[in-house]
Amino acid sequence: MIFQDMAAYRAANFAPRVAIIGGGPAGITVAHKLHRSGIPTVLFEAGGEEYTEESQDFYKGKTFGDTYFDLDVTRLRFLGGSSNHWAGWCRILESYDFEAKSYIPHSGWPIGRADLEPFFAEVYDILGIQAFEPDHPVTDSFRAMQMIKSDHVHFGEKFRDELARSGSIAVVLNTEVSELVGNGRSVTSAKLWSRGADAGEMTASHFVVATGGLENSRLLLWSNERSNGGVVPNAGALGRYWMEHPMYWAGNAFITNRDALKPDADGDAFLIPSVEAMAKLGVPNFHIQLETMPYFGAKKFMADIACRAPEITEWVSKTLGSHLQCTARVHIDWEQPPVESNRVALSATDRDASGVPRIELHWRKGELDRKVLLEGMRLFGEEFARKDLGRLRISDWVRNGDDYPDDMEIAGNHHMGGTRMGSDPATSVVDGDCKVHGMANLYCAGSSVFATAGQCTPTTTLTAIAVRLGDHLARTMAS
Amino acid sequence: MTKESNTDTTRRLFLTALLLMLPTLALFRNVHVIEKDDLVEVDGWILKRSDLA
Repeated sequence: MIFQDMAAYRAANFAPRVAIIGGGPAGITVAHKLHRSGIPTVLFEAGGEEYTEESQDFYKGKTFGDTYFDLDVTRLRFLGGSSNHWAGWCRILESYDFEAKSYIPHSGWPIGRADLEPFFAEVYDILGIQAFEPDHPVTDSFRAMQMIKSDHVHFGEKFRDELARSGSIAVVLNTEVSELVGNGRSVTSAKLWSRGADAGEMTASHFVVATGGLENSRLLLWSNERSNGGVVPNAGALGRYWMEHPMYWAGNAFITNRDALKPDADGDAFLIPSVEAMAKLGVPNFHIQLETMPYFGAKKFMADIACRAPEITEWVSKTLGSHLQCTARVHIDWEQPPVESNRVALSATDRDASGVPRIELHWRKGELDRKVLLEGMRLFGEEFARKDLGRLRISDWVRNGDDYPDDMEIAGNHHMGGTRMGSDPATSVVDGDCKVHGMANLYCAGSSVFATAGQCTPTTTLTAIAVRLGDHLARTMAS
Repeated sequence: MTKESNTDTTRRLFLTALLLMLPTLALFRNVHVIEKDDLVEVDGWILKRSDLA
């Protein structure tokens, strides 16, 4: 069932057991799972079925610290959420990513990858992908990984018909949960804003906040403030430990053994470090992306010759006394460590049309970010040369420790943390089942629950966590 | 293929290779010996010592 607003929904007299707040990848995945279990569920989507400026305006906010994207550009507020501008790159966090490391403060999850593995088949089905191929060793410390470039599922489009046909799922569009009301033990109701006006309250036995990696923090911070701590009783970590995947074009390379790098059809090769290498350097996870064909026009023609006609190039190389054949652009993407001061906060002065304070995002990269950028590039460059795969040049700004450039890709639009998962309520918001510490019926879904970021895109992992949460809720309801 | 076009092709390929090698002209501006016996960092390029032999 799909209702265009709260008035239409109320007329249907639907009695949900679960209320999901947010119709993006996480919310729709939980709804999809509960649909299969036949559990009466309402899903509130603040936007409609298409992009509108009016809806998007609710996402405006301010950023402080390092250069970051405009907050109303880095995400989308309509059915399907930010999957509507997702590039479709898939990869799941490695087992290592869930473990605590002595050299990364606040690292470690209360669950492991093994807890998610039973749900991988469902995740592949949702995202329309196949299982990942094994990694291939390339150097002593690096292996090539498969980054699946999928057909970027737009969740609103893919699941619209299923949701519309479902007798157990009610989707209410153009309706925002502007506030949750809690008593310190459970959420008692949700206040609603629909089609530009107050739409009263509703209640359910369980609530799932799935509004995105920035908005989850905003809704809970505001609700907690209004309920005097009754929504997130242990709020020390709420909004904090927010993370991104910084990513930069940090060098160039000549490639002499392209096949060994296992480039994909686009010519991109993705190399990840070994656990031992990361531990030895004392750095968070990262990946090197070798973009072997980054050129167009005449430059592409020249690079094409070197990359695709190695026998001719070999002859020329011998003539010049060189072994260099093929050019590449070198990117590095890394796992930003969880830092308490990187946080989502509420503006004291700016509010959206429904009266909810807008976001102030405080975000800076730190010393570990600098370290993984330089040491990661250097380690790869050294092993790249030793194995005669090619030669790498590290960009001047990286070696000199200059300011981060803002004229290139700076991060992945990956919003992680803020309601992070953990065992200690002092440094986390939800437990291993995504349930808010101290609350009986409040859950979070999406990449806001990430305790650490790993090196890869978050959508596949957040979908797995959402499937697992849906399974948990279904079993909880059944019992 | 005629002899003339063979010559043109060879000239074009040689020119292409030269253009590709242009960045190596910058190699000798800033030599930084990194703490590895077999490697040297030259103006950001991480090279084998044997590359410079």
